Amino acid sequence: MARSVISRLASALTMLFVVATLVFAIQVVIPGDPAELLLSSAGSTPTRENIEALRVEMGLDRPLAQQYAEFLWGAVRLDFGSSLIDNSSIGQTIAARLPRTLELIAVAMTIAVAVAVPFGTQAALRVGGRLDTAGSGVSAIFAAVPVFVIGTLLILLFAQTLKLTPAGGYADFVTAPMQHLTNLILPAVTVAMSIFPIIFRMTRSSVLDSLSNEWVRTALAKGLPRRAVVRRHVLRNALGPVVTVIGLQLGILLGSTVLVEFVFNWPGLSGYLVTAVEQRDYPTVRAIILVVAALFIFINLLIELLQMKLDPRVQL
Amino acid sequence: MTMTSASVSPASSSRLQLPRIHPRLRLPLILVAVVLVAPFAVPPLLGIDPNAMSVMERFAGPSLNHPLGLDEFGRDRLARVLIGAQASLRVAVISALISCTIGSLIGLFGAYFRGFAGFLSTKTADVVLCFPPILLALLVVTLMGPGTKTLIWVLSIIYFPAFARIVYLEASRVSQLDYVIAAEALGARPRRVMFRTILPNISGPIIVQFSLTTAAAIITESGLSYLGLGVVPPDPSWGQMIRGARAYMEQDPLGIVIPCVAISLTIYGVNLLTDRLRDVLDPKGLSGGIPILSPRRRKTPAATVPATLEADTVLRIDNLDVTTNRNGVAIKLIEDVNLRVRRGRCTALVGESGSGKSLTASSVMGLLPRGVTVTSGDIMLRGQHGQAIQVTTLSGEGLEAIRGRDAAMIFQEPMTALNPVYKVGDQLIEAAKVHRPVSANQARDEGIAFLKRVGVNDPERRFDSFPHMLSGGLRQRVMIAMALSMEPGLLLADEPTTALDVTVQAEIIDLLIALKASAGAPGILFISHDLGVVAQLADEIAVMYAGRVVEQGPAATVLGNARHPYTRALLQSMPAAHEELHASRSDTLPSIGGTPPLPHERPAGCAFRDRCPHAVPVCADERPDLTAVDGPAHLAACHLATGRAA
Amino acid sequence: MIEQHNLLEVEKLSLGFGGSNGLFRTKPAMVLRDVNFTIGQGEIVGLVGESGSGKSTIGKAVLKLLKAQEGRVRFDGMDISDLSERQMRPLRREMQIIFQDPYSSLDPRQTVRNILSDALDIHHLHMGSSREARLVELLDMVGLRREFLDRYPHEFSGGQRQRIGIARAMSVEPRLIVADEAVSALDVSIQAQVINLIARLREQTGVSVLFISHDLSVVRFISDRIIVLYLGKIMEVGPADLVHHAPLHPYSKALVSAEPRLDQKSSRIRLRGDIPSPLRPPSGCVFRTRCPFALPACAERVPELREVAPGRSKACIRDDIDMETAS
Repeated sequence: MARSVISRLASALTMLFVVATLVFAIQVVIPGDPAELLLSSAGSTPTRENIEALRVEMGLDRPLAQQYAEFLWGAVRLDFGSSLIDNSSIGQTIAARLPRTLELIAVAMTIAVAVAVPFGTQAALRVGGRLDTAGSGVSAIFAAVPVFVIGTLLILLFAQTLKLTPAGGYADFVTAPMQHLTNLILPAVTVAMSIFPIIFRMTRSSVLDSLSNEWVRTALAKGLPRRAVVRRHVLRNALGPVVTVIGLQLGILLGSTVLVEFVFNWPGLSGYLVTAVEQRDYPTVRAIILVVAALFIFINLLIELLQMKLDPRVQL
Repeated sequence: MTMTSASVSPASSSRLQLPRIHPRLRLPLILVAVVLVAPFAVPPLLGIDPNAMSVMERFAGPSLNHPLGLDEFGRDRLARVLIGAQASLRVAVISALISCTIGSLIGLFGAYFRGFAGFLSTKTADVVLCFPPILLALLVVTLMGPGTKTLIWVLSIIYFPAFARIVYLEASRVSQLDYVIAAEALGARPRRVMFRTILPNISGPIIVQFSLTTAAAIITESGLSYLGLGVVPPDPSWGQMIRGARAYMEQDPLGIVIPCVAISLTIYGVNLLTDRLRDVLDPKGLSGGIPILSPRRRKTPAATVPATLEADTVLRIDNLDVTTNRNGVAIKLIEDVNLRVRRGRCTALVGESGSGKSLTASSVMGLLPRGVTVTSGDIMLRGQHGQAIQVTTLSGEGLEAIRGRDAAMIFQEPMTALNPVYKVGDQLIEAAKVHRPVSANQARDEGIAFLKRVGVNDPERRFDSFPHMLSGGLRQRVMIAMALSMEPGLLLADEPTTALDVTVQAEIIDLLIALKASAGAPGILFISHDLGVVAQLADEIAVMYAGRVVEQGPAATVLGNARHPYTRALLQSMPAAHEELHASRSDTLPSIGGTPPLPHERPAGCAFRDRCPHAVPVCADERPDLTAVDGPAHLAACHLATGRAA
Repeated sequence: MIEQHNLLEVEKLSLGFGGSNGLFRTKPAMVLRDVNFTIGQGEIVGLVGESGSGKSTIGKAVLKLLKAQEGRVRFDGMDISDLSERQMRPLRREMQIIFQDPYSSLDPRQTVRNILSDALDIHHLHMGSSREARLVELLDMVGLRREFLDRYPHEFSGGQRQRIGIARAMSVEPRLIVADEAVSALDVSIQAQVINLIARLREQTGVSVLFISHDLSVVRFISDRIIVLYLGKIMEVGPADLVHHAPLHPYSKALVSAEPRLDQKSSRIRLRGDIPSPLRPPSGCVFRTRCPFALPACAERVPELREVAPGRSKACIRDDIDMETAS
């Protein structure tokens, strides 16, 4: 047990290192000079001297190995340097904005799981029934609408037409808790709707798979009541794939909330990231992506450890 | 043997077949075709210019000239939305193609050659999958600048790992299959094995993934364009149109709704196609499989005849018919089966696969697969307090009450019959805890006692083991302990030794023989295809063929003086019955030709007549009934045995 | 059957799986240890053993579908142990395999014609007008009708599929066939047909067969000689009838007495427990943990396979066991 935990931890750390290297390497591999890109993003043609000056400022003139070492060492200390645009500390800005993004994801995931898992389970237990048809129909529709379209349409309906909620914005929870929550509703629901189909379908198919296991027949044959069979021998075994997909979605959401935050003006990581991308602030982009990828790897690690707990056979 | 040059192509190479389109695919295929063709075909046909502006008419509503009205610059919305589709579709389809090709090749090579290629194909995918897709896209956009070309690049990078992973997994699975090994054993070159044998057999998942990727690419492309980081103006794309219309949302909701609907409809079409493809290519999801929780059984009116059982009998089946539906036609899987199991005795039900022997046992437990029902006949079971129970009229709760307590069952596959996530001990006492009030400690002690009784060494330790830690033989012992734990009057054993090694099988048979001799022994209904196993255990034997019992009687009589040609053939085809024969002396084993008929193809008259060496005309005309032959206890359903064909 | 020289000679074959696993090194699970045997021209040699004995692994190692760690395989006097896949290719024609599962052994997307043609194409056999006649001849050989040529595998029953698999193996006119549990998945009435077919093919074509099965009664009927395998080691080798009627090794005896028979024989040897894991094989004789006759000496050294009578060998240190009275 301890051995497999250590082994997973080690492979997660290796992955983190590879990802960091890759993020660094992309800049080297992809044609184009970050300094030049940054200066020309404003539309003007920068002079040689300007570019050279910026290259020195960014440390691009130093040997590659040194740049790489400094980057890694910085990343380990969570020091990502300062933004090329306004010289603010990248680490501090991320620290301020990341919790807002995480809050949005957590609330949205809670809503989605609370609805999709019971719904998917019931759909599978009555496969082909009315509930199943309805659930599959709803998830087919939700899956067809891109998340920013959902957001836009929700604004159009609830903020614009019905005037029930604000169209976007953010308020601090400490100073204006109600305001904070009303601002949170629409973006959270948007994200929840976008992941509903994935969790619903996975739950449904996982429960269906689980139903056809032979030990379900054993459980029935020994006279367990139907409810106990479902709970102990169907749902318990169906949990694994659902947990995996939830973990995977958590990771993907770290990225796709960019769009939702943009639609609703939610000041999470995304606004920061989009601005940085538009202005070609490479160190900032790099730092955000590294942080998010690290979170992604961390979530996956947790999921794997959870799987080991769920299924005694998973030991590796 | 003639050897001709390789360049001569084989005379008969009729490999191309007309593709038949599955009916379930027609609708989504039409939808997707429209979505793909319309953006490129409609604008030239209508002769509308997406960039022509008439500022005076901005935000004009729908009219005959402009079916969807005009946008904020007075441009035709229909033309814009169609042209926007072009950009989105081009990017999505091209990047899906690129990622499919690259990913599939990596996955295929990785799965086939393993080693470094295998490492590469799984690990690159793992690394790329560490980045949320949108972020990876933004990273590349930062460095390459927005634009269509960047987008294609980005989307290809994002989506190829999924292909690599799926193809790797599927190809790994397929390359373990015997037909791939057969190709290698024939000396086929790797290229031939990969592209001719493996690839066609994993084309299903690849097509599904392609369709999935196309939809995902449309979504990501529109998202990036919406952020202003994808397709750049003046090229129109859906994401960008939504971005543009946002500013005028209050004045012009239509402007934002149109591209939203266009995008969603397109993705809906592609998704529908994906789902249907998956159903068609992998029909597993549509059919149920083994008996699952069927909908609650409605109470049927109690039988008119009160349930009665002879004093020594624990189970009596009378005239049982089990039926299923096939395209609206009722098909009898089991017909007119009569059986009896006596207390402390073993009745064996013998037959080949498809003969209906397992279904007979499942009917007793009320565990028939979905869509299969008992249509007539009686199943009388001895209850715990000596009463007779008519199983066919029981409700769902009624069945739950008799299962395990009055009739317990063990199965063929001990490896899958236990739930892998619970300790065997917990599963062993689970039922006992439901059926009667016992404390946890008492249940545990009883469970351990039962393990000891079925010959499990070190029962305390085994009680706390998980199923995967036990061998097949031990698991089957656990299953038997579980079945005995509620002291049922009837034990149904469905091929309990078939999956075990011979030496282990012998132990389990010994265990069952000992069980029969023990005090308070249940009656056993033992189902098997193996007459050798049956000979050691059974007191009575019923031989089933094509859903009917063809011969029945005391074990010694049926084995020693079989009267039905099928029973005789079964006995004769056992190599163990012919120790004097040997292949090296050009001996052949007596065998029956042909194969048993499928339930819907059973011939009229005697179902065995096609394979019977003694068949006479009357066998085709008249179905023989089970009739007493040499004594009242020995029955056979054969015209020859009863003298009718003489 | 007296043969000039052996078609197949296997010498000190050892094979294991695994060995490393991510960060941690693990011991490879040795599936075969020091296996020696021969197959003569036109001989059928039966290989019996229970699950975990490594019998299928031997079949695949002989065909070089699995790579052995140690040992030599000689085919027709030629050492093929170190041949590359490319060098093996022409030899592939000479040695073929028949599988257990009639459902996974045929490519579901190919018609019978394609399945058989592929085999011929690979070795450039009957490339011209003789192809059609050859295909029909092959089907005829295994007792199938020519109309079946353009059908797909799923249209056939298990027994028919097995015949197609045999036709594919026979199509390249091999000299050795490995039949890996070829009749185990079939119903009894069908099983006898396929056994007869294999025996007949041997008689007609003189092909040698390594017949792998867990079922001693089937192996006894079809094989000239029997090899009894346990946990990757050969326990006993001898003429089929003798091994079956008067086994020399306690394990063979246990196998024979465990065989389900119509006439219930009284003398039975029952083994204790299960086959140990190949990861942790017992020291000395691998069978000693389940052997009713084990002595302390059995744990000390590995008993070698020694000839105890002409053509009969066993790997057991005891010669004093009276098999008839043992029970």
